[in-house]
Amino acid sequence: MKTTKSTTDRQNLRNGLLFCSPIIMGLSVFTLYPVLASLYYSFCNYPMLKPPVWVGISNYRTLFHDPVFYTSLYNTAYYAIFATPIGLGVAFLLALLLNQKVKGMALFRTMFFVPSIVPMVAGSVLWLWLLNPQYGLINSLLISMHVPANLIPGWMADPLWSKPALILMSTWGVGGTMLIYLAGLQDVPVDLYEAADIDGATSLQKMWNITIPFMSPHIFFTLVMGFIGAAQYFTQAFVMTGGTGGPVDSTRFFSLYLFQNAFQYWKMGYACSMAWILFIVILLFTLLLFKTSARYIYYGGEK
Amino acid sequence: MRIYLSAMLTVLLLCVGCNSQDCTNATRTTPRNEIIVWHSWGGAQKELLSRVIDEFNRSHPNIHARALFTPIETGSSQKFFTAVAANRPPDVIFTDGMQTIAYAEQGALLPLDKYAGRSGVKPSDYFAPSWNQNYYKGHVWGLTYCADPNFALAWNKKVFREAGLDPNKPPRTIEELDKYNDKLTVKKDGRIVRMGIVPWGQYGTANSLFTWGWAFKGRFYNDKTHKVTLNDPGVFRAFAWMVNYAKKFDVTKINAFSSGFGSRDQDPFYTGQIAMKCMHISCIEDIKQYAPNLDYGVAGMPAPKGGELNSSWIGGWCLAIPKGSKKADAAWEFIRWCCHDPKGTSIVGRTQGMLPGYRKSPYFKEVENKPIYCEFVKILKQCRHQRPVMPAMSFYSGAIEKATDYALYGRKTPKQALDDATRDTQIELDVRLAGK
Repeated sequence: MKTTKSTTDRQNLRNGLLFCSPIIMGLSVFTLYPVLASLYYSFCNYPMLKPPVWVGISNYRTLFHDPVFYTSLYNTAYYAIFATPIGLGVAFLLALLLNQKVKGMALFRTMFFVPSIVPMVAGSVLWLWLLNPQYGLINSLLISMHVPANLIPGWMADPLWSKPALILMSTWGVGGTMLIYLAGLQDVPVDLYEAADIDGATSLQKMWNITIPFMSPHIFFTLVMGFIGAAQYFTQAFVMTGGTGGPVDSTRFFSLYLFQNAFQYWKMGYACSMAWILFIVILLFTLLLFKTSARYIYYGGEK
Repeated sequence: MRIYLSAMLTVLLLCVGCNSQDCTNATRTTPRNEIIVWHSWGGAQKELLSRVIDEFNRSHPNIHARALFTPIETGSSQKFFTAVAANRPPDVIFTDGMQTIAYAEQGALLPLDKYAGRSGVKPSDYFAPSWNQNYYKGHVWGLTYCADPNFALAWNKKVFREAGLDPNKPPRTIEELDKYNDKLTVKKDGRIVRMGIVPWGQYGTANSLFTWGWAFKGRFYNDKTHKVTLNDPGVFRAFAWMVNYAKKFDVTKINAFSSGFGSRDQDPFYTGQIAMKCMHISCIEDIKQYAPNLDYGVAGMPAPKGGELNSSWIGGWCLAIPKGSKKADAAWEFIRWCCHDPKGTSIVGRTQGMLPGYRKSPYFKEVENKPIYCEFVKILKQCRHQRPVMPAMSFYSGAIEKATDYALYGRKTPKQALDDATRDTQIELDVRLAGK
């Protein structure tokens, strides 16, 4: 009896693995192998066309003495700390507004979602012109509001304003997050609101005690994904600064510097060690978020 | 049954993979001796290059050259490197001057000595700087396709008249240039609406510093001692002069002004937003196309007192054979015809409006007296410089760009910025020279 079961089990296992074999092969060739190879290269001097030479931890040691590495870490942290919560906040507000029962709601929802299907490069070029200090719409608007000339931002031409410019731009692409919130909002039980109405709760109280707790798993998910996305921020900065990360390194983000090392200076080993540092940083922060999540996430009464 | 199904599916998938592979092979290997040429020319020049290639194919019935637009920016070369690393490189690659030896150092190119010897190519056949930039560690790595004498100073005569300047008198000294700039620059409501010249806006900050640096008699590299000399007194004076513009006119305002520049017929020089610029030879054809009525003049570059008047350096595209090309002989014939053949160089020059690096080319007779072109011929004939021939050049350019950025925005003093860039580049160079 026992043996027959294990034979079936084994057969099932074999069949299952066979069915999975394309994806297993794909994952190992295109994901597992590159990941492991990058770990190996991070301990090598590897100019790409010549064979890698093992140099031990030398790349990591150089990295910790590289001032640009710290600048890029600072830029990325700055962006993540501001862009992520601002993005979530804007998305949440939009979702609340778009959850009202108003005429033409489908149209409004589409309007706010459209920016997230615009390709990132196209969006960046568009914003480059919106943010243009002399001819851009945003500064024209500020001028028409009689903002004094010396307070008009230089946006991407000014190292103080370049990161805020990118953060401002990031709020334009919150459509995806907004959609997740919108779906979440429609799952909040209506009877709870009715009960709260009977008890005479204000809308703020309803928001704080019903909506937000029910939305907390969604907020948590988008926070983690938003943080990971911000830590890997690359395309917009690359396009809007022509790949330089200027002015004065103010938009040289971690991934941009990594790219420059790999493909402009051909220091693939150095770039790989940067990639591993980034991986570890993201891993630690995500673990931290998960560890603390139990305190503020409500999964419909389940632990 | 299920097992067979999954196995069949897997086999099917593999077959599809193989088939598409065969397809690309089939289109790649035509019965004729086809060579693939990678180039970075878009726009009008792409069309002109294909005319040159048609001419080549007509005169070479055994070889068929095929051009592929595969832009390699000066900064990054990932497509090319990937192709070489995968052993499927093109047969000929257009490299931008200083890239040739950087590629050679990486082991991506084939040394051409054997072929050059066979075809009787001698160093003296070329303008010295254009030969030098392809010669490294005792080997020839490429030949110059077009020798761009960088630069001539171009000025917009209409704007000169508006500003009350003599339209037939270009600035010849840096002091004059400054004076002209003050007259030509116009501010409105605290914004700059016209500027005489943006010193660091000449094809990137690194190229700008090379241009002014040589005018100020600076030296960027000592190839005997392998020392980076970016903080040399001449370069420093040029750099400090550039930074002074940033202080005087407010760098944020200048960059805000330049971020609004258009291209093609909206080029700031054509629209008069910029009155003077360092002009590249290919601009002649652009102007014919986009601003045929532009009233402008060109002259040699100005220099400070005691500097090098009419200074210039050679840029331009070169041709090289990537390592792993299976048709190196045919590839060499293409290179020889484009760069070292009296007929070929004339066709390249005539079609693309550029000057060959091959100094014996009969094409020079054709353009010696042609307006505007003749100025560039003059500049080319007395050209003395090429960008440093060393393996860390891409890093060096990056370091110059960064130093300029920091100094323009006042985050570092000019001296500090140059010292830092010199030190960083030297470290990088030493690592590369150690051959690791």
